[in-house]
Amino acid sequence: MTGRKMQKGNLMLRRDLLMGAAAGLALPALARPSIARAADARVLRFVPQANLANLDPIWGTQYVVRNAALLIWDTLYGVDANLDPKPQMAEGHTVSEDGLVWTIRLRPGLLFHDGAKVLGRDVVASLNRWMARDQMGQLIKARLAALEAPDDASVRIRLNQPFPKMLFALGKANSPMAFIMPERVATTDPYKQITEIVGSGPMRFVRDEWVPGSRAVFERFAGYVPRDEPADWCAGGKRIHFDRIEWQILPDPATAAAALQNGEVDWWETPLPDLVPLLRQNPDIRVDIADPLGNIGTFRMNHLQPPFNDVRVRQAIQYAASQEDWMRATVGDDPALWRPCPSFFTPGTALYTEAGGERLVGPRHYDEAKRLLAQSGYGGEKVVLLVAQDQAVLKAQGDVSADMMARIGLAVDYVAIDWGTVGARRARKDPPAQGGWNVFHSWHAGVDCVNPAPYTALSTTGEKAWFGWPKSDAITALIATWYAAPDLAAEKRAIEAINRASMDFVTYVPTGFYLGYQAWRSNLAGVTKAPFPLFWGTSKS
Amino acid sequence: MLAYAARRVLATLPVMAIVALFVFSLLYLAPGDPAAVIAGDQASPADVERIRASLGLDRPFLVRFGGWAWGVVNGDLGTSIFTNLPVSRMIAQRIEPTFELMVLTLVLSVTVAVPMGVLAAWKQGSLIDRAVMLMAVLGFSVPVFVVGYLLAYVFALKLEWLPVQGYAPLSQGLWPCLRTLILPAVTLGGIYIALIARITRATMLEVLSQDYIRTARAKGVAQGGILFVHALKNAAVPIVTVIGLGVALLIGGAVVTESVFAIPGLGRLTVDAILRRDYPVIQGVVLLFSLVYVLVNLGVDLLYSLFDPRIRY
Repeated sequence: MTGRKMQKGNLMLRRDLLMGAAAGLALPALARPSIARAADARVLRFVPQANLANLDPIWGTQYVVRNAALLIWDTLYGVDANLDPKPQMAEGHTVSEDGLVWTIRLRPGLLFHDGAKVLGRDVVASLNRWMARDQMGQLIKARLAALEAPDDASVRIRLNQPFPKMLFALGKANSPMAFIMPERVATTDPYKQITEIVGSGPMRFVRDEWVPGSRAVFERFAGYVPRDEPADWCAGGKRIHFDRIEWQILPDPATAAAALQNGEVDWWETPLPDLVPLLRQNPDIRVDIADPLGNIGTFRMNHLQPPFNDVRVRQAIQYAASQEDWMRATVGDDPALWRPCPSFFTPGTALYTEAGGERLVGPRHYDEAKRLLAQSGYGGEKVVLLVAQDQAVLKAQGDVSADMMARIGLAVDYVAIDWGTVGARRARKDPPAQGGWNVFHSWHAGVDCVNPAPYTALSTTGEKAWFGWPKSDAITALIATWYAAPDLAAEKRAIEAINRASMDFVTYVPTGFYLGYQAWRSNLAGVTKAPFPLFWGTSKS
Repeated sequence: MLAYAARRVLATLPVMAIVALFVFSLLYLAPGDPAAVIAGDQASPADVERIRASLGLDRPFLVRFGGWAWGVVNGDLGTSIFTNLPVSRMIAQRIEPTFELMVLTLVLSVTVAVPMGVLAAWKQGSLIDRAVMLMAVLGFSVPVFVVGYLLAYVFALKLEWLPVQGYAPLSQGLWPCLRTLILPAVTLGGIYIALIARITRATMLEVLSQDYIRTARAKGVAQGGILFVHALKNAAVPIVTVIGLGVALLIGGAVVTESVFAIPGLGRLTVDAILRRDYPVIQGVVLLFSLVYVLVNLGVDLLYSLFDPRIRY
């Protein structure tokens, strides 16, 4: 009897325990939704365009690294949506009358993520590292008499020759950007990766949670003091409304689309155009153009090797190439996503011009192309076309190019490889038969093509120029006139001349201007069109 | 047996050395340049050259191989060119999801495929047999990523039972972890189930036609006893062999499955490293996979003696 009572007692206890456990589980479950929703609103889950494999924006200049770096580090100046540089970490500046001495004062209250104050010497070290790698930085360096910190709160740049584009250089959003790091970090060799991630921007990188290829986490830095002005691209008050921003690397577009539909992620930077109609059907998802400055596609020729060492063959391509064919193959039939671009510069921006682009417009002239080819003495040698099969945009354009070149009588050797191999092979100057190349496709972000400063592909300095190594002293001189241009009217004149000369010389052939979409959950507010994801000003309900 | 196992373990060392040399040579000869990837598309050729030099990629083959091999002997797999993290740390970060995915797939596959194969053999020529074989053909024929998309569509998007992607480590609880692995394991298990079911059926058919099975039936042994005690035990050796060999299939399938379901495992690490030409990571992961494969085969060899007492080492 006692035993039975004991047993019953045990049973009751066990049941009580089970009920208690169930209640324990249920109570938080009941209380969780509102708390969870509030907590969830403070976490942004973002799918970036590519894997974030490193965090050094000077050593590695990929766009995805620049985008992450924009959260972690701040700059002295930042461009707004009109690409005008505005003070950011800088409070202001003075320039001597002869334009040779720039003195920049730092805003009070600037802190690094380790709590240390941002000092003039940190800025000096950061600019030195940046100048070694950036095209505009190298131009400043060539004119530099001294870069010094007269005190903790200011920096002085003394030049031998005026450089009117100084503020644009310090604030431009093109990679590499002039991010400000602590002196001990910034003294790292610019060709070696930094080992310490100590930022000066609104978000702190959480290194312990970083799983390269899968996830990167940023936490709000409480010590960051945003400017008072409203945020405008890289300028103004960078106010972050999230405690955490989690980057989730989803390499498969179908998975990313499904995750967005399922509410597992909030924002997808680069949805495939093919998947956009599907996303648009979902009332909980918003889709819009991501970057209004888009991209300019590139048909890049090797100027050192025949047949493209002859300008007539390069012009033959201009007569035969159809930007519409290239663009439809790239983005499909959505007319909102592309437009012809008989220009080297970004449509819709202040300096855009189509001067000299006539050969790329109107009906295609295959006969004229063939005539120029014959005039050049082309003897049917193989033309090696490198086509990256793992980049949908480049694969599509490469297929169109192979067809176009075959039509005018070029003997195309279509080399199907991956982008990593294109990256290595395009650096080789050997003849195509010995491992070199004749043509590859690439693209340039529109933000890099607004003027010649960040535009490496426009340079015609021969051996020092971008792959293909075009050499034209006349164009180089014209680019110099743009740097020296005192006002917008003079800049426009210079750009028009550069575009005309570059079209005649055929530095490369633009394949068209195209845009991309971004997609986000409808509970996200403040998503802005820009060449990079802007997390400040964005909030989640 | 112990001496045999010890000999086999020692024999893995030259195998691993040959694998290491082979992989290093292949990567050395393969086109591609991590410096070009690091520098970005806008970098000048001179910048790419300087980055290549700073990474030591311009050094001769033997110097590079010697440095790496010496590190491996001393337990250092090197540092990732891109992330600047030790390769061993990157592998440690990724090994848990892949290990759990493979174990779950293995358990699921064996649990489903062996009874299917036994059933198909028992009911040879029946509708059940044909259905099992049809499933096996489908398992072989339908690509892993198609199965993955279909399962994600039905069970994640439509029914909302399971997540589309992601991974929760076991430290967050058994169910959260299982939730993220069920769809990938079923996806990855498809081809494995097909393989094991077919081998089980074929081997069982052969065993069931043996005289001792007829004797057992004549002595009145129940059908279950005949199938699972007398027949299956004797059919086990080829089945276990196939399960061992199939680990290679799992490793290959994990690459695709981890990409489809965004699981941060070794498969994705391998693909990312190959696309970027992150040589130390590729070498480290391939070395690890080779070791796993060699050890699994050793385990399979040792299991033979459990199922067949005539096998002695």
